Amino acid sequence: MPGCVLAIEGLGKSFISGGQNVPVLAGLSLAVNEGESLAVMGRSGSGKSTLLNLLCGLETPDTGRITIVGESFDHHGKSGPDDRWGELRRRSIGVVFQEANLMPALSLLENVRLRAYLADQPAGGERQWLERLGVGAEADRYPDQVSGGQAQRAALAMVFAMAPALILADEPTGSLDRHTADEVADCLFAMQRDNGCALVLATHDAELAGRCDHLLDLTQPG
Amino acid sequence: MLVRAFISHYRRHPFQLLALALMITLATMLWTGVTVLTDQARNSLFQSEEAVAARVQVVRTDGQPVTVDDFAWLRMAGVCVAPWLEVQRPPPEGRVIGIDPLALGCFGESAPGGEAGDLDGEPFMDISEAAMLSAKGADSQLYLLAGTDDESLPETYALKDFSLSPPTGELADSFLLNLDALSLLVLLITGLLVRSVHRLGLAQRRDSLALLHRFGVPRRRVRQLLVLELMALTALCVLPGLWLGAQLAGVLGGGFGQALDNLFDVALYAGSDESLPWRAAGVMVLLVLAVCLLDWVLPRRWQNAASSGRGLRVAGLVLLAGLTGVVLAPGLGWVFAGTALVFAGAGWLTPALLAMMAQRLSGSASDTGVSPLLGWRRRELAVMFRQLALPVVALQFAVATVLAVQALVTTFENTFDDWLAQRLEAEFYVEVPVGADAELGAAQLRELEGIGPWHRVTRGEASISPADNDGKGAVTPVDLFALGPVGELVADWTLLESSARPWQQLAQGGVMINEQLARRQNLEVGDTLDVTIADTDIRVPVVAVYADYGRPAGEVLIHRAQLPEAFSAGFESFSVNPGERTMAEISDRLADVWDTSNLTVRDNASIRALASRVFGQTFLLTRAISLLTLVLAAVALLIMGWVFFTTRAWYFQLLAVWGLPATMLRRQLQRLAVTLTLSVTAAALPLGIWLTWVLVSRINPLAFGWSLPMAVYPMFWLELGLVAAGIGLVIARLMRRQLEGPTPLPPASRMTGAER
Repeated sequence: MPGCVLAIEGLGKSFISGGQNVPVLAGLSLAVNEGESLAVMGRSGSGKSTLLNLLCGLETPDTGRITIVGESFDHHGKSGPDDRWGELRRRSIGVVFQEANLMPALSLLENVRLRAYLADQPAGGERQWLERLGVGAEADRYPDQVSGGQAQRAALAMVFAMAPALILADEPTGSLDRHTADEVADCLFAMQRDNGCALVLATHDAELAGRCDHLLDLTQPG
Repeated sequence: MLVRAFISHYRRHPFQLLALALMITLATMLWTGVTVLTDQARNSLFQSEEAVAARVQVVRTDGQPVTVDDFAWLRMAGVCVAPWLEVQRPPPEGRVIGIDPLALGCFGESAPGGEAGDLDGEPFMDISEAAMLSAKGADSQLYLLAGTDDESLPETYALKDFSLSPPTGELADSFLLNLDALSLLVLLITGLLVRSVHRLGLAQRRDSLALLHRFGVPRRRVRQLLVLELMALTALCVLPGLWLGAQLAGVLGGGFGQALDNLFDVALYAGSDESLPWRAAGVMVLLVLAVCLLDWVLPRRWQNAASSGRGLRVAGLVLLAGLTGVVLAPGLGWVFAGTALVFAGAGWLTPALLAMMAQRLSGSASDTGVSPLLGWRRRELAVMFRQLALPVVALQFAVATVLAVQALVTTFENTFDDWLAQRLEAEFYVEVPVGADAELGAAQLRELEGIGPWHRVTRGEASISPADNDGKGAVTPVDLFALGPVGELVADWTLLESSARPWQQLAQGGVMINEQLARRQNLEVGDTLDVTIADTDIRVPVVAVYADYGRPAGEVLIHRAQLPEAFSAGFESFSVNPGERTMAEISDRLADVWDTSNLTVRDNASIRALASRVFGQTFLLTRAISLLTLVLAAVALLIMGWVFFTTRAWYFQLLAVWGLPATMLRRQLQRLAVTLTLSVTAAALPLGIWLTWVLVSRINPLAFGWSLPMAVYPMFWLELGLVAAGIGLVIARLMRRQLEGPTPLPPASRMTGAER
């Protein structure tokens, strides 16, 4: 499948809650190609975060298969694919959370540098990423010395500095005010398009979801 | 409802409650143990002084030991005497003393061991029980105590001081002072540990307490609940701590009793008291409340200033003042005060300096010489040094104390061993029996052909004054040690300071003095002393200063040819190498000439074994307390480290999310934990070495009159380093469980510990 970064076939996941088996995802299939973006929407508890956890190997599916940049994983066995998942997360999958994306003991620049280092990216371009995301002036500040919006931009800089094939963003603007959220989202989409990577974005925000190429609503059956 | 909401934090985090409870219990245990032992030591020494004060014993003028028949005969003759039967049981039981409460009645109120008929358990017991022990084969010795002014004594008996050892007042005071100082150090360390665990728990509850306040609970009410909670927890934990402390004192008590016995010849260690030491409990409750609630009392301005640059400069000045104070201190009290300042300054500075160093070593973002992962680890280390400042300092103090005590004890053992080896050159030592003429014995030895080197030792009392005194200055009583003939047996003595050919000069009329006297009187080789021996004054030059690791008293050594006729010896003995003769032959001849069947002959090996046992026991307590303190501090750091790591776990998980393999993640954790504990140990090294110097070069000369050579023991540092690394590895192992396997992304509400 040329250009396909992410493909899911028949993905299923359920949890045990109060002794009951609660299905969260069932028979989910989709594909996201290079440069495309997919918004995942749904009520709280509908499985958005679970899907993202499955897509970066932090949880194991009950059924189905996930293929990311040519690497396939199915629901069998856990120990085997862990190293491959780790390798994928290190080099190819950038993850952005709602908050707490940064190491508090490192400055913004050092955070970017650490992330790039782990992804085996050559050193030197980290400050430029921060500048492109509008937080170059705060590069030497620590996360607790900058605003939430600035921290989130730095988190995006970290992701782009590792040159990922796929970005998984879980409510990346959820903790920001409208204006800042828009600015951060602008940055995210602009950089994603410039770099040609795929984006899977979990959000409650219909406006934000509307900016994506595709939409997956987990509250809708099928 | 409010209370339930208040304590809900501990329902969710029971480990934090457990950690605080454990810390209060262990701290109480250690403090109680130390307090009980110190109090008992103080009581024992007091009882000892009371028991033997102003008391004399009756001896036979024919040199034979007194027997029960002598007791009966003297009582029938109307002399007030009481039997005192010392029975030496094998270790660890030690010595007991049998007394007859009825016989003691004739002394009136000052009977040893309490009122007549009031025997308070060991070491005093009824003489019939002691006699039974003796009959079973235990070594025993009977003494007959008498009144000081009894003039009705028959001619075949004489009075002699009932002092089984030299006076011990000064040494005992120093010993107790050192125990008190060690107790205070233990209290300080335990206070730091309790405070650190409580503060960490409070930091974790900050949000929920703030929520209560937002829900309308007044801040004062929240504080009241916190105080109540702390008081309830303290009350609950102090009780088992007290019991454990009493048990600990009981375990250490046997060895401690032996230490007292050996060090002071005090056979009066009263054993463990049955009742719990409530005073220690009171101190611990106050300590816990004080250290935990200190933040509410101290102005916030002060708290902030403590870690500011200005605060650290003040800490530096405190440290400097302490260092200077210890060097210049004129007395023990000042040395302890200076030491306290040094500990305060070092404890204040260490976490900040370690954090600064870790921060600096982590490099800056532009520094490409440090890998970003290593840089991150060092930054985390800096955070830990700041956030774990109190347990870090407690561990540093504990390691420094253990290090110094170990160095002191090892140095003392080695030095004492060498000193003893040169003092015990002779193969045998023969005591001159009471009433016997030592000169007859000396004549016998002179006549014996083929006998090896020997000399006669005479001990007694004299007084000295500097020769330029003109009778105006103080006259100082000293112990007198006379030797003759001067020969091979003393040729290898290591003298601290001496003139050329000191032994020849001694034989020609010089005097040697011990280190204690030299220090106290500021005397050195070449000075001239006026020595008064009995009715004779002699003016003699000081020809050498010798080491003397005994009691603090000053001592002069002269050739026995200088002893005047009127001199009365307190104790005499012969040091003998049999040469071609046998010791049995020599002792038989001496027994014949002195007409006694009870000659005390000791061999070199038995004296050395006794000395080794004495010092092993003497330092048992010090070693045990310092080691227990180290264990407590290690446990505290382990608990704190674990709790703290838990708050930082997300940042390790973030590395896992970023794709760092699990093995590398575990390695990061191990390196971080081990670097933390090793750094603390490294920071404790200079403090420990300095404390060693204070003990050997400042406290010992001031307390005992002699100093020890300064020695360090890098192998022990290595052992401590291994212990520290072990603690770090245990912390890492405990944390591993939380990091095993991929971790789902946590919700934002679980984000804690974002301090930097």
